[in-house]
Amino acid sequence: MQTDNGIAAGVRPAAEGLPARSGQPASGKAPARRGKRRKLAAKAGFIAIGALVALLVVFPIVWMIPSAFKDKRELFSLPNHFLPQKFSLDNFREVFELYNIDFMTTIGSTLAVALTAVAISLVINMLAAYAFARLEFPGKGPLFGLVMLSMFIPGVTILLTSIKLVSDLHLLDTFWGLVLPGAAGAYNIFFFRQFFLGIPTSVEEAAILDGSSQFGIFVRIFIPLSVTPMVIIGISTFMGYWNSYLWPTLTIIKNTQWQQVMQVLRILNGSKAGDYGVVVAAALMALVIPVTLFAVFQKYIMQGIAISGIK
Amino acid sequence: MLGESKKFRYRYKWVAYLMILPALGMLCVFVFTPLVMSIVRSFLDSTTGEFRGLFNFRYILSDPVFLRSLLNVFVMSTITTLLVVVTGFLFANVLVNLNKMVSGVVKVLIFLPYLLSGIVTSIIFLLMLNYGGGLFTSILYTFGKPAVSFATEGLWPYVWIIIPSWWMGFGYNTLVLFAGLLNIPRSYYEAAELDGAGGFTRMVFITIPNMKNYFVLLLINLTAGGLQMFEVPLMITQGGPTNNTTTPVLFLVNNFKGDKPQNAILAGALMMMVVIALVNFFVFKIVRSEKSQDA
Repeated sequence: MQTDNGIAAGVRPAAEGLPARSGQPASGKAPARRGKRRKLAAKAGFIAIGALVALLVVFPIVWMIPSAFKDKRELFSLPNHFLPQKFSLDNFREVFELYNIDFMTTIGSTLAVALTAVAISLVINMLAAYAFARLEFPGKGPLFGLVMLSMFIPGVTILLTSIKLVSDLHLLDTFWGLVLPGAAGAYNIFFFRQFFLGIPTSVEEAAILDGSSQFGIFVRIFIPLSVTPMVIIGISTFMGYWNSYLWPTLTIIKNTQWQQVMQVLRILNGSKAGDYGVVVAAALMALVIPVTLFAVFQKYIMQGIAISGIK
Repeated sequence: MLGESKKFRYRYKWVAYLMILPALGMLCVFVFTPLVMSIVRSFLDSTTGEFRGLFNFRYILSDPVFLRSLLNVFVMSTITTLLVVVTGFLFANVLVNLNKMVSGVVKVLIFLPYLLSGIVTSIIFLLMLNYGGGLFTSILYTFGKPAVSFATEGLWPYVWIIIPSWWMGFGYNTLVLFAGLLNIPRSYYEAAELDGAGGFTRMVFITIPNMKNYFVLLLINLTAGGLQMFEVPLMITQGGPTNNTTTPVLFLVNNFKGDKPQNAILAGALMMMVVIALVNFFVFKIVRSEKSQDA
């Protein structure tokens, strides 16, 4: 289907070189057959390019996996082998036996922070999006403008004063200090508002006639219709928290039980330079949850990317 | 509309305010308050709190390392952004020519790096770049060549910041552009084909103009992210050798608790907002003006 949509034209120059590879001058053949062969060659060319690029892009991740199972002496021995000569679980064992870090606690803490943030952010951003999409109230335009304005304030600009603020609120070194600052998000409100605007008003008209409250309509009608955007925004919020390095590093200083996983990986990267397999093994373990989430919700995520481009 | 009484239109206003309150309240506390604090404090003296006019801005703008970091990030983020957009656009054009099954697999594979943080990405590249015996040293060794210290020698530090940064964004942005290509109405191409337009002509006069909004979106997202580049330089080069790859965020974070006046650092952070806004403005201007030339 996609092959015929005419966009093929864009990459013709690359494809044109390919028929020559068949080595036969096409002059004696019927034009229709020549066209067919050319198309086939182009198709093979595209598959080759696609496969090559895909393999090249995943290669670094693929290289990392067996490396985590190489022992200390083998990891940087010359020449490198792709698979470990001697399969070893030492790196993983060492990750769990670090004297200053409990890696499982770190994973648990990060999971708790990310999941709480996902829950709070879905609730507050969807509520605001519903009001902006469906209700009329004085000051709606300026208030929405204010929300959108926050999208244009880069993190670095407010990062340092945010630390001061969080410290004034006595949230430094706490769970809530990690969760709350990123929970409200203009982009998420915008995304849900766009989705709600696309739902026909007839959906709630009957409910209004039945005397349903606006909150009731939101909970009973809009939430069940919003599973797709909720998964999309939920995953992206989760990934944002899971992968966050700078904020935890600057705010979790003494209370190490709330150290987040990227923060710990950076600490390990500094302290285990001579035993890098441990760092690689820890990084690999930090990938398990994101990759599992991606595998489970892949369809939603791909859909989300297709929507996010349209503004 | 006009027939509706104000009272009727606004009958749910208190519900609405209540629904907005949590999100807006948190934006006010965690975004606007620190912003106002940054603005106010960048005009005050760091120790006495007296009004100092533009002192802090002058101070930070005369800091050679901060200026160097701005130059570094301009170079590295411009190259990364252009690489992502160009390679992404080319590869999106490859993807539309694949059948659904093949392109489905390819899409998943190229998307994977997007799941990784800058920290994990850097760990993966540090593993391959290890001077003593990483993959690249091993390849050089096989050819009888000496090892290269990628974090310090020649232009390599830039290369090995740009490549991981490109790698993280390539797949995602390719998929956005791919979605954009599928949104161009087929009839445009059919009409062009009837007029005898060749592949190159169709690319220049149909595909690229119709993708303009996607290019703007990508460029704005990528420059805002690129100018705040931080984790990859921190991990791969620590900003070295001698500040050659340091970035503004790296500089500001490292100096916030140092000897420099704290409010000058805040002034620097505030200037990053202006820089990003200006770059976005120019991106918008340039891409838009090309559009009007086409018309």
